[in-house]
Amino acid sequence: MSDQDLVVETVRDILAAHEPFVLTAERRWDAGLWGALAGAGLTGVGLPEEAGGSGGELADAVAIVRTLAAGAGAVPVAEQLLVAGPALLAADLELPSPDQPTTFATADAVTVHPVDNGDGPGRFTLTGTVTDLAWAGVARHVAVLAPAPGGIEGAVLALVDASSLPVTDAANLAGEPRGSLALDRVGASGALLTGPRAAEVRARFALARAVQLAAALEQVLAWTVRYAGERHQFGRPLGRFQAIQMELAEMAGEVTAVTALTDAAVQALDRGENVVLAAAAAKVRAGAAVEVVARLAHQVHGAIGFTQEHGLHHLTRRLWSWRDEAGSELAWSRVLGAGVLAGGPDQLWPALTRVV
Amino acid sequence: MSSNSLTLAPAPRSEAAEQVRAEVREFLAAELAAGTFTTHVDTWLSGVDPAFSKKLGERGWLGMTWPKEYGGHERSAMERYAVTEELLAAGAPVAAHWIADRQSGPNLLAYGTEKQRREILPRIAAGECFFVIGMSEPDSGSDLASIRTRATRDAAGDWVVDGAKVWTSNAHTSHYGIVLVRTSPADPANRHAGLSQLLVDLSLPGITINPIRILDGGHHFNEVVFEGAVVPGDMLLGEEGNGWHQVTAELAFERSGPERFLSTYPLVAEFARRVAESGDAAALATLGRISARLLALRQMSLRIAAALDRGELPNIPAALVKDVGTTFEGDVVEEIRKVVDVTPSLDSPDPLGRALAEAQLHAPGYTLRGGTNEILRGIVARGLGLR
Repeated sequence: MSDQDLVVETVRDILAAHEPFVLTAERRWDAGLWGALAGAGLTGVGLPEEAGGSGGELADAVAIVRTLAAGAGAVPVAEQLLVAGPALLAADLELPSPDQPTTFATADAVTVHPVDNGDGPGRFTLTGTVTDLAWAGVARHVAVLAPAPGGIEGAVLALVDASSLPVTDAANLAGEPRGSLALDRVGASGALLTGPRAAEVRARFALARAVQLAAALEQVLAWTVRYAGERHQFGRPLGRFQAIQMELAEMAGEVTAVTALTDAAVQALDRGENVVLAAAAAKVRAGAAVEVVARLAHQVHGAIGFTQEHGLHHLTRRLWSWRDEAGSELAWSRVLGAGVLAGGPDQLWPALTRVV
Repeated sequence: MSSNSLTLAPAPRSEAAEQVRAEVREFLAAELAAGTFTTHVDTWLSGVDPAFSKKLGERGWLGMTWPKEYGGHERSAMERYAVTEELLAAGAPVAAHWIADRQSGPNLLAYGTEKQRREILPRIAAGECFFVIGMSEPDSGSDLASIRTRATRDAAGDWVVDGAKVWTSNAHTSHYGIVLVRTSPADPANRHAGLSQLLVDLSLPGITINPIRILDGGHHFNEVVFEGAVVPGDMLLGEEGNGWHQVTAELAFERSGPERFLSTYPLVAEFARRVAESGDAAALATLGRISARLLALRQMSLRIAAALDRGELPNIPAALVKDVGTTFEGDVVEEIRKVVDVTPSLDSPDPLGRALAEAQLHAPGYTLRGGTNEILRGIVARGLGLR
C-alpha cells in the first residue's frame, strides 16, 4: 500500500463518521469533520514539519483534497493545503497552526499600505472588502492576495487574522460560505510578490478547485453507474437500456478527460514548473465537464436526485459552484487563450505542447 | 492496473519524445518553407503524397516501434506519438502511409508469417508500401461480424475471394489490403467464428477499385470488388478462423492516436491567427476552451501510448479517447463559427473560410470512421460494467 493509499483510507474512515449534510446559515461547515482531520494531523499534510505542518508530499495533500471533495466534506482543506499554506511558505510568511482553518482569497478591491512601526518591513494595513471569500466566518486566518501599494508592480500576500472581523452571510450553490470580509485598516504581516509569482498563487487556487472538481466528477459518475444498476424500470436495470448506456459513457469520457489533464497539471506543479496555463486548462476543462456530467447524472437519477432526500446534490451543487470559483471559467479561458497566443499565432502549437 | 479499466496511469515524461519532436518540427518548417506541401484539414485521410511518405521513411519516422530486423527503429510509442502529433498539427500529407504505419504493420508483426514480415514490413517503414483496411461492406457497417465477403480454398490451396469492401480509404493508391473475409459459413450461435484476415495484393486480377466521392468531391473512399480473385494460400494473415480476434486486437492502435482529435487542428491554427488579429474577447475565450479540451485529449492519448509501451492493449480506454476526441473535432467547427464572421467556402479567398469549409465537409466522418461513437460508447459502457 502506498503512502497515498494509506492517507486516502484514513480520510475515508474519518468521512464515514461524518456524513455530508445540507449546509445552512446556522451550520455552514462540518466542524466535527475538521476536528477529526486536524486531530489526525491531516490538515497539515504537504506542509513541512519545521513550519508547523505534518510533512509529506504534494501528492499526499492532493489525495486528501480529492477524497474530501468526493465525500462532500464541508471543510477548508483544499484552500489550506494546496493554496494558502504553500503560498504563505513560499512568501516566507509564518504558517498559522494547521489545526485552525486558513483560507485564501484574491481581493482586487482591497488596498494595502505598508506600515513602518519600527518592526521593519513586512507589516501592512488592509482596507476594503474581500468578496466571495471561501469559508468566510469559518476560517480563522485568511491569506489575502491584494494589489501592491500604489505604483508598485505585483501584489501583496497578507495573512489576516479574521477571527474578530465582520463577515456577511452568503453561500455558493452548495451552501458553502462565500460571504464578504470587511477590512478597515486591519494590520497584517505580508510580503510583496512579483506579478508572475502572484499569478502562480492564483493558478494554485484554480488548480485546487480543478482537483476538487475532478474528484467530485469521478464520484458522481460512480454514483450514477451504481444507481443505473440498482434502479429497475420496465423489468430491468436502467443501465441495461442503451439510451442510458450512451449517457453514462459520455459522462465517463468527460471524467477521464478531466482526470488526465488535472493529474498532469498537478505533476507539473510537483516538478516546480510554472503552472499558470496548466491550471487554467485543468480548471476550464473540469468546468466544461460539469455541464455534461451533472446534467446527465440528474437525468439518470430521475426525480429523487432532484431532492435533498438523495445525496446526489451534495456533489452536483458543489460542481456547479466550483467551476466558477477561484476565477470563473470565462476568466481562465481568456488566460489560457492569451497564454497560448503569447508567442504569436504561428507559435500556437509549440505553446500548446509546452502547457503540460 | 488492468489494461481495460477505463483509467490508465499517467504517462511518464519522455525526453526522447521531446528530442524527436524537435527534429520533426524542424523538418516540417523546412518543407513548408520549400513549398513541398500546404496545410490542410484532415490530411490523414485526404493528403496522399507518396514522395512525402518516403521522406518520412528515410528519416526513420515510419515503423518507429518495430524491431530493427524488420526495418523498424525500436523506438517507444511515446516517440511515435510525438512524430504523428507534429505531422497532424502541421496538416502534412500523411495519408498514403498512415494506415500501414499505424495499423497494418503492427497487425503483421503480431500475426504475420516470417516471410510476410520480411517482405513487407521494411517497405512500409521505408514509406514505399501502403495499406488499406478491408472491413466494412455495403451491407455491413457497425455490425462487422455480418460481413459476407467469402474466401474458399481451391485445389491448389489458394484463396478464391468474392465480395465487396467499402470505405476503403485510398485503395487506389495502396498496394495491399488486409481484408476480413468469411472462411467458413456463418454460425448464428457464434457470430465471431469463421472469419479470417487475408493479405491481399490489390493489383491481382479479379479485383476492381471503384471511387466513392465524399462530400467535398474528394476521392479517398473506394469500393473494392472481388470477383473470383485468387489470393495465394500463404497470404492468410494469422490463423484461419481467428479473424475477429485479430481485428479487435488492432483497435487500441486504431482508436487512440492523435489523429482522433487533431483532424481539425489546422482550422484551430487558422482561427488563432484571426484571434490574434482581432483581439476579440469572446474569440479569445473560445480559443482557451478549445485549447483546454485539446490538452486533455493529449494527456488521454499519451496515457495510451505509455500503456502500449508497457505491452498493454487498452482497447476500452482507446474507445473512450476516440469518442471524446472525434466529438471534439466536430465541435471545433461549431465553436469557431460562433465567434468569427466568416462564410465557409472551399473557394474562399480567406484561409479561415477555406479551413472551415474543409472541416465542415469532412465533419460527418470524424465520428464514424474506425467505429461509430455509438459502438464506442457501447464498449465504454461494458467497461463501466453495464453490459
